[in-house]
Amino acid sequence: MPLSMAKEGEVRLIRKVGGKPEVKQFLESLGFVVGGTVTVINEIAGNLIVNIKNSRVAISREMAGKILV
Amino acid sequence: MPIKIALAGNPNSGKTTLFNALTGSNQYVGNWPGVTIEKKEGKLRSDTYRDVTIVDLPGIYSLSPYTLEEVVARDYLTGENPDAIINIVDGSNMERNLYLTTQLAELGIPMVIAVNMMDVVEKNGDKINLDKLSEKLGCPVVGISALKRSGIADAAEKAVELAQNKVPMVPRHRFSENIEQALAGIEELLHGKVDEKQMRWTAIKVFERDIKVMERMAFDDALKSRIEDIVSQCENELDDDSESIITNERYLYIASIIKDCYKRKSNVKMTTSDKIDRVLTNRWLALPIFALVMFCVYFISVTTVGTWVTDWTNDVLFGEIIPPAVEGFLSSIGTADWLQSLILDGIVGGVGAVLGFVPQMLVLFLFLAILEDCGYMARVAFIMDRIFRKFGLSGKSFIPILIGSGCGVPGIMASRTIENERDRRMTITVTTFIPCGAKLPIIALISGALFGGAWWVAPSAYFAGIIAIICSGIILKKTKLFSGDPAPFVMELPPYHRPLAGNVLRSMWERAWSFIRKAGTVILLCTIVIWFASNFGIVDGQFTMVEDLDDGFLAKLGSIIAPIFAPLGWGFWEAAVASLTGLVAKESVVGTLGVLYGFAEVAEDGQEIWGLLAASFTALSAYSFLLFNLLCAPCFAAIGAIRREMNSGKWTIFAVGYQTLFAYVVALSVYQLGSLFAGNGFSAGTVVAILAVAFFLYLLLKPSNERKLKAATVSANI
Repeated sequence: MPLSMAKEGEVRLIRKVGGKPEVKQFLESLGFVVGGTVTVINEIAGNLIVNIKNSRVAISREMAGKILV
Repeated sequence: MPIKIALAGNPNSGKTTLFNALTGSNQYVGNWPGVTIEKKEGKLRSDTYRDVTIVDLPGIYSLSPYTLEEVVARDYLTGENPDAIINIVDGSNMERNLYLTTQLAELGIPMVIAVNMMDVVEKNGDKINLDKLSEKLGCPVVGISALKRSGIADAAEKAVELAQNKVPMVPRHRFSENIEQALAGIEELLHGKVDEKQMRWTAIKVFERDIKVMERMAFDDALKSRIEDIVSQCENELDDDSESIITNERYLYIASIIKDCYKRKSNVKMTTSDKIDRVLTNRWLALPIFALVMFCVYFISVTTVGTWVTDWTNDVLFGEIIPPAVEGFLSSIGTADWLQSLILDGIVGGVGAVLGFVPQMLVLFLFLAILEDCGYMARVAFIMDRIFRKFGLSGKSFIPILIGSGCGVPGIMASRTIENERDRRMTITVTTFIPCGAKLPIIALISGALFGGAWWVAPSAYFAGIIAIICSGIILKKTKLFSGDPAPFVMELPPYHRPLAGNVLRSMWERAWSFIRKAGTVILLCTIVIWFASNFGIVDGQFTMVEDLDDGFLAKLGSIIAPIFAPLGWGFWEAAVASLTGLVAKESVVGTLGVLYGFAEVAEDGQEIWGLLAASFTALSAYSFLLFNLLCAPCFAAIGAIRREMNSGKWTIFAVGYQTLFAYVVALSVYQLGSLFAGNGFSAGTVVAILAVAFFLYLLLKPSNERKLKAATVSANI
């Protein structure tokens, strides 16, 4: 399912990172890689704050929908 | 031998803090990713090494740039051949930081790794085995704390040594067999075309089909297809695209390093920072809290603390103390009347009027510095993203706007962190709607003189700015120039920390000092010009000093343009001229009013500028004057910044023209409709205002032509 649907506090395994090549590359450099784990910390109107490789990243709903967990 | 050492690392990993510590510079440090947007150079402060230059680069997550300022860093590292790199790695976030390290290592440039924030690592009870890390990565590793200045000399020394001995960095890391084979194949093809030192990096980039590198290499078609064969064969074997293959390999390698070198004491799920975020970015509380914070910032700086001090500076220091003292002194040495008037009415009146507001600015800058340093700034971008997205802007636009509330010039420059060019142009166009520090004196003057310091005036100026930005977003987004969805929002949020007194005070003082300096130069010059132009004129066919300012050149000139502003409620020459001088610097508006309303006369006839000013304006026309000056074209410095960042004269004219037109329409509507509601009857102006408002509402509410089309392509776009 897309990351946008994950519940707060759940540790999730990343299965796929989609999106345009340059966006995907940027997400990967931030740590969003297949096989890595991600935890949703907070949600506001669909935008998420997630814990990825121990740093906090804010990500919009559209983007979160492109990351499958 | 001159040596250049580049500082490279992830955003917000402490490069600039280290740069300042190494070079003794005072570069601005903030707690959000993207503070540094240009490379900065400084000399290493050292007794042993003379000619060592340190280059501070914008933070990057990888060598594949995503935003404009990242391009600066990558181009420098790959194109300018620094003699050594100090790679700063945030020790509290090793895994992500090492991703860049694996790429930097491939550049073949001598490299030292400085693991920063060792104090935080130790406090958390985590352990990093630096020796083992050094062995694994194949380069010296030094533990440092840029903030506490520990270990930094050691890191610099190691880098200089490497540079002097020209020890090239040889990455220890090997990818899995299939990839190495493919890379070897590519390297063979590239042989003789690429500098040997950069061979591995180039081969990997070619393998990833990196567009920039491929362009730069300009291979012929035959070579291209041979490379393509190698890459696609490897892709087939590993069943993934080449770019992902490399990325995954890097992270696997990092995981193997981390396992051996990093011991985390405990896995705390919720850090203090997360708990704060639970409140500050809470779905219901986030916006009210933000509004409250900004309200307090403006209320406190303009209405309470700031005013107590400003009242004293205005009334006592520049009212009762300085003018009589200066006057006494000038009379005692027998200065000519005109010179006395120039100094008292012109310089003391104009510059004094501006300087009087410095205390209020100090308070405002103090608050802004605290907000920036503690980490709230990045959160505001996140909070505002959802709302801004509805209006066609991304949350990232909010950082330039927030910085713009200090000064528009760095605000406009901060737009570089926005990756999408359309979004960036729009952000540049609307950034200066937010009142900057220099507009604070105008707000404070109007609030004090016309509204008796009412609590709502100053915050309303701020929120008027935000509303102007939102409305402009909606309107501009519907035009062809800006249509399209804003880029998806992705941004790292730094952990909150207690604001550091040093950082906060430095940033406050630096901003305030630039205003004081401006008062001593540009504003001074401007007031002198204003004084001459207003005090001299042609009376009875003779050039002479005029008795009544209304006969002066300035009055004549002002009277020509004043009618333009008559529909806004302030069609008299003083206000028109003051607005015009706002182009030089926004404080000049106040400085000019100070000269024209005889600020320095205060002590003599007991009437203050505020009283005189109040007599010229009504509450409504004053508010219209305030709105116009807040929203119209910014000062020349900011227009220059717009020109640089837009990199186009046409776009600059568009931005400045739009701002001025927008300001005029808003001020006109407020004044005319306000007069109508106040019972001043119906006039031609009212009709124009109603038409303007109707047209404005039409632009605001009309459906976007491309909405349907967009809906179809939106999923493909993200």
